[in-house]
Amino acid sequence: MSDPVERFLYREARLMDEHRYKEWLALWADDGVYWVPCNEDDIDPKRRVSIIYDDRERLQQRIDRLASGSVLAQDPKPRMRRVLSNIEWEDKGAEIEAQSNFVLVLARGETQQVWAGRSLHVLRRQDETFSIRLKKVMLVNADQEMPLLQFLV
Amino acid sequence: MDSTVDFEALTSGARVHGSLYRDPAIFERELDLIWHKAWVYLGHESELKRPGDYIVRPIGRQPAIAIRGDDGTLNVFFNRCRHRGNLLCHRDRGAAETLRCPYHGWTYGRDGRLLVPTFEEGYGEGLRREDFGLTPVPRVGSYRGLVFASASAEGPSLDEHLGPVKEYIDLIMDVSPTGEVELDTGVQKLKYRGNWKLLPENSLEGDYHGPFIHRVAFELHQRRSGLDMSSLYENEIRDVIRALPGGHMVEDYRGATMAPPRRQPSEARLQYQAMMEARYGAEKARQLLTTIPPLVYVFPNLIYVMTHIRRVQPVSVGETYVYYQPLLLKGAPDEINEARLREHEFGFGPAGLISPDDVEIMERNQRGVAAQGNDWQFIGRGLHRETRQPDGGASGFTMDECHLRGMWRHYGRVMNGRAAP
Repeated sequence: MSDPVERFLYREARLMDEHRYKEWLALWADDGVYWVPCNEDDIDPKRRVSIIYDDRERLQQRIDRLASGSVLAQDPKPRMRRVLSNIEWEDKGAEIEAQSNFVLVLARGETQQVWAGRSLHVLRRQDETFSIRLKKVMLVNADQEMPLLQFLV
Repeated sequence: MDSTVDFEALTSGARVHGSLYRDPAIFERELDLIWHKAWVYLGHESELKRPGDYIVRPIGRQPAIAIRGDDGTLNVFFNRCRHRGNLLCHRDRGAAETLRCPYHGWTYGRDGRLLVPTFEEGYGEGLRREDFGLTPVPRVGSYRGLVFASASAEGPSLDEHLGPVKEYIDLIMDVSPTGEVELDTGVQKLKYRGNWKLLPENSLEGDYHGPFIHRVAFELHQRRSGLDMSSLYENEIRDVIRALPGGHMVEDYRGATMAPPRRQPSEARLQYQAMMEARYGAEKARQLLTTIPPLVYVFPNLIYVMTHIRRVQPVSVGETYVYYQPLLLKGAPDEINEARLREHEFGFGPAGLISPDDVEIMERNQRGVAAQGNDWQFIGRGLHRETRQPDGGASGFTMDECHLRGMWRHYGRVMNGRAAP
């Protein structure tokens, strides 16, 4: 596969599926923001609550906790596989804006869950690859009562 | 259900019977005797700022709508068209000129009056508009912006119901430099596979379970905020845990001294401190700013924890919805409120670093009580040192369970029909 943006997104997805937290964190820019809005896709995060709104420092701590082995909802770790599709991206000069859809199936204990949404990646060119400056994940169920989200989307 | 069940026997002697978490007939009785009688927390005044603003939330199992009237009154109705009983308003929230039933077009004013019954001529003399207004929920009241409603016409007043818990609600609201908070901040929505009572039980005993299930999250929190929480565990403090009359529970941290944050305060923080001093005076402001606000449970469905209000919604005996709404401080610098949102998301909601461990534990708790070999839970910590309080409640040390005993005592009396919820 030749498209470097797609290659990057697929790899990111695989790292999330396989709980490879440290490698996933290494994809992020130092000023990266990981955002999962709540209720609606376009809210003002300064006035409205999000499901996740991590700057790089908080993201580091989220990963430290996930990697610590002490997260109860990760004992045992869910098995996950996701499919990325409908990838569209635009070259904005210094940055690339990519949008994609995902469907994620998660199995743990007696339950199987399906999660889906659309992701916006703002990627900064870095050497031969990219770093994530913003990832905004717009969950289909952002306004529904949802089970725990104790994995990476 | 079997009317001979003695709920006080199932909740006395520092024991709680497992059937209270898993018996569908008991759940139905809870709806009748607790949820459809009690003062149920519905929402906050700040969610209904302008005339026509509405929120749609159930009282127990009964759909209700709260809408701000043209004269500023807060009207709460059963969310049911008087014509054929259709759900009048199916959205969570919004703003409406009028409430129009989508089924046959009957339209009501914000005050509940029937405006248009549609094709009225066909009713002959049989329909007097004034007889077909929306049915108001019998009792509505508010305290410090928190709106409560009761589906029962009778029972203690809201003031009586809240009683001494008002003092603790005051402490929460007084963290605002205007004395008012904003809850118009969006709603994190979560569901778990467990009984609704597990949530208040779990939410107000974090000091005991904290070192076991939140250890890493607390270490990370401390690293980030600089706030040293270890003092809470090293020496248990008297009178932190409180059972109040009416089934309310409190973790009262006024007696706990926290090691101050190591970081230098920001400009915004200094400005906020100055606003607090201007409003409350130096001494009270210092107290409000250097202690953790209390954790509060108002029976049956309102919980305040650190950053937010939690609203508990029973779905079935083994399923519960939880709604988290972070609380912003009206009039405080934007930077302070933004930091509060980030603090909240970091800890709470479906993807937080603290409350999800609680949720996972509650689901396991629900699975555990399916075992009926010895069908009792033990909530006896601190029984020997429980102190009666002048407010009619009792208090215990930081990790004691006297508040749980108080909640269950109240529950038993209500479920036996011997006390109002």
